[in-house]
Amino acid sequence: MSEPLLEVSNLVQEFTVRDRGGTKAGIVHAVSDVSLTLQQGETLGLVGETGSGKSTLARAILQAPPPKSGSVKLRGVELVGLKRRRLIEARRYVQMVFQDPFGSLNPKWRARQLVEEPLVAFKVGSRGERRRRADELLELVGLDPARYGNRRPRELSGGQAQRVAIARALALDPALIICDEPVSSLDVLIRAQVLNLLERLRTELGLAYLFIAHDLALVKQVSDRVAVMYLGKLVEIGPAESLYREPLHPYTVALLASIPSPEPTAERRPVSDTIRGELPSPLDPPSGCRFRTRCPRAQDVCAEVEPPLRQLADRHFAACHFPVSRDAPAPSGRETAQLAGGPHDPAQAN
Amino acid sequence: MAVPPTETAVPGAFDPAMVAPAPVVGGRLGRLRTIGGIWIPAFLVLAILFLCFLWPVIGPVPSPTGGSILNSNLPSFSPGHLFGTDSTGNDEWSRLLYGGRASLEVSLGVTAIGLLLGGLLGAYAGYVGGWREGVIMRVFDVLIAFPALVLAVAIAERLGPGLVHTIWALSFFSTPALARIARAATLRVREQNYIVAAGLSGTGRTRTLLRHIMPNILPELITFALLGIGIIIVLEGALSFLGLGIPPPAPSWGNMIASGQNILSAQPKFTMLPSAALFITVVSFNLLGESLRARWTAQ
Amino acid sequence: MSANGFTAGETGELPAGASTGTAATDAPLLEVSDLRVEFRQGNQVVRAVDGLNYTVPRARTVGLIGESGCGKTVSSRAIMALLPHTAHVTGSIRFEGQELVGLSERRMRAVRGSQIAMVFQDPARSLNPTVRIGPQITEAIHLHNDVPKGEAFDRAVELMELVRLPAARERFRQYPHQLSGGMRQRVMIAIALAAQPKLLIADEATTALDVTTQAQIMELLRDLQQRLGMALIMISHDLGLAATFADEVLVMYAGRGVERAPTQKLFEHVRMPYTRALLDAIPRLENPPHAPLAAVPGQPPDLAREQVGCPFSPRCPNVTDHCREHMPPFKEQEPGHLWACWHPCGLEGRR
Repeated sequence: MSEPLLEVSNLVQEFTVRDRGGTKAGIVHAVSDVSLTLQQGETLGLVGETGSGKSTLARAILQAPPPKSGSVKLRGVELVGLKRRRLIEARRYVQMVFQDPFGSLNPKWRARQLVEEPLVAFKVGSRGERRRRADELLELVGLDPARYGNRRPRELSGGQAQRVAIARALALDPALIICDEPVSSLDVLIRAQVLNLLERLRTELGLAYLFIAHDLALVKQVSDRVAVMYLGKLVEIGPAESLYREPLHPYTVALLASIPSPEPTAERRPVSDTIRGELPSPLDPPSGCRFRTRCPRAQDVCAEVEPPLRQLADRHFAACHFPVSRDAPAPSGRETAQLAGGPHDPAQAN
Repeated sequence: MAVPPTETAVPGAFDPAMVAPAPVVGGRLGRLRTIGGIWIPAFLVLAILFLCFLWPVIGPVPSPTGGSILNSNLPSFSPGHLFGTDSTGNDEWSRLLYGGRASLEVSLGVTAIGLLLGGLLGAYAGYVGGWREGVIMRVFDVLIAFPALVLAVAIAERLGPGLVHTIWALSFFSTPALARIARAATLRVREQNYIVAAGLSGTGRTRTLLRHIMPNILPELITFALLGIGIIIVLEGALSFLGLGIPPPAPSWGNMIASGQNILSAQPKFTMLPSAALFITVVSFNLLGESLRARWTAQ
Repeated sequence: MSANGFTAGETGELPAGASTGTAATDAPLLEVSDLRVEFRQGNQVVRAVDGLNYTVPRARTVGLIGESGCGKTVSSRAIMALLPHTAHVTGSIRFEGQELVGLSERRMRAVRGSQIAMVFQDPARSLNPTVRIGPQITEAIHLHNDVPKGEAFDRAVELMELVRLPAARERFRQYPHQLSGGMRQRVMIAIALAAQPKLLIADEATTALDVTTQAQIMELLRDLQQRLGMALIMISHDLGLAATFADEVLVMYAGRGVERAPTQKLFEHVRMPYTRALLDAIPRLENPPHAPLAAVPGQPPDLAREQVGCPFSPRCPNVTDHCREHMPPFKEQEPGHLWACWHPCGLEGRR
């Protein structure tokens, strides 16, 4: 198997919360020991809700700000620990598209300038060549450079602004684009347009995506594999179809149950069956499994031992002592030693 | 957590759904506000600048100094002297204009230095953070701790009177103030995603500071600076009043007010005229600054 | 279990749980006829709502679906008379037979909150951050009922339990920032229910919440609606949400209603190409990875311009010249199913 494009190992990101006087009030464990890999041309979806750490993970991968510990290798080159110019050089092949297009475009610059910026920073070609390339990129994302090249962001609609952001991300021929909720702030029909654009670029340019969203249906549709995060931890990762047909982690089940379905007659499981209570504070995450306070399947062991991420099906991993499967009903009695490590056969979970 | 859709029908178009249910002044009254708020003060500012800087060069304005004592104390509306002459025979109208020029040169110069030095240093401090920010801002904090006039007097005393010295002295007031504004604005702008995007694009720190941060904090800085011009003019007036600013016989509104004080009851015009000029100028700059601020924050 | 003082019998004529059948034949609770809302700004006139017609039966949920700028929020604010002075409202809004358009502010205040209540999108902005949540709820109670303080406290706690806010007594003294988004929204709902309104308008009430929280809040709303016999107008851009929780759906585009039907009927036989486009644009779990989404080009129309012909024509796959020149009427074309289209989907004969 060829070298992965992106290799994230044991990434940890924490933020210190200070109160008014400046004294340390606590640590937010935003990302805790997350590892994943991404192959060339692959789309990995990353799903999670508020406090899951998915956006923080993306920023940590980009070293903006750098993670507290762990390793991030892009094309085999370690990014953690690199500074300034070396980091800019090494990081050249990964770009990002942000959730709010207007926040990611300097309101005082014009569209063409914005798209050209990476070319200017890396001194690619002459001024004329850069301008031509910028126009090419604008056309590639479906914006006529003659009409839109000179516009400021406030003269663009949300969808158009996001296209400019995508054009900018493409300027340096990246291998990987991290999309952080790229369509959440756009209207439904415009969303479809931009998603189709991203898909077309993927096939035309062979791009890999790390696609971050809170909408599992959306993520599943655009991804080859999907990873689910909860309160800073990676709880499940596997092929998109497997995750949907046979979710292993109870949180994934809850996410699936929460998706409003445009099928009014479809049988719906009430969400309250799958998840309870409120999100705990990231300053003080629950011991053991972080999901246990809301999990309908939690047992004593879940508070004592943190479940490791284990392979439970083909390329499908989950971090749970009592993973869900079609064969195994929810555990009723106390399960202890038999689940503390070692290969686990879902069919025997009872 | 999810950002609601921001798609508007036409880019930049008026989105009625976003209008808060508070009374909005539209129609005729709103237009009147715009005229009163922006155009009148702008016109006044331009008129004052024209009168004080251009008119003495191109128009029939006599020299403000070197008048003959034979012409002294002529009353207003005397031929050739709209406002009469002072005790040494200098044309009062001319003294008003040249005095204004001196006061404005000081205030504009001080503001320019403040914007350049203070703005850049403050933005730099806010952008890089760390110990550099600490050092820069503590130095400025010390300067801000002094009451403006006390600081200005102390420095002017050291340097002595004169236009250039006055500008330096008052810059110790404007620079820290504008640096603070610049730093605060930079802290806000720094968190924007387009700064992160610039970093991802490979843009270096200097370029980010100059091309991304500065243009976006400039409106705030300029509005604050405009509001400060009034204060600087008054400070210059105070310095000159105390004998430290512009030394006579060169006029400045400040020293004119000072010298006119002695003969206030007999000949009030020598104090009233420069005071009125000072008042109109300060109010115009303030109104302009206020309405620009209102406009730019609404955007 | 019925919360004390909040059984359906006190709020409306229907007993709790009766949410089908007879309700539809009663006189509608709310009747919106030819509603138009214009905003004048200088020379520009923006027609935010351009002839809207719908009714809300008692104890039913109507989903008002559309993208931003379609007029759904403006029309609901018109019902509550919460629009700025620059808005000109014409047409008719009848609540229990009483005309609301043009009603004096004093009379409107008697309606607002006690008869019709509203829950907004962003609870962080709707709750006063400097006041504890308990007093914010009791304030709402006092506004509409003359009760002594002790009783107001009890009622507030009941309300908080009604909206499934855990540890209600303790939370009474908490500030909004100490609560999560979902909990704040529950507080908003509790405030809205304080006077036992007959109609609740939820304006994108769950859009800013997490998916799991959204589902919980929507289930709560449905449960409350059934128990209290309350009517609910659910405003959203999410057709999927409407499919799951609404009895009837009205789709809006460019300030007008373009399709309306009972939920099941709508999804079985979508007629309006815009509704079809909305449906096709929703990612489905059943779709294989990398499946393209059926996307419609273009953008919503500029509401400042006069509409000639159907406003969807620049983007419609079924468009003909006739569509561009003539505005299709919004009328009942099949039993219970209204739409405004010259060439609806699934009815090829009409082309």
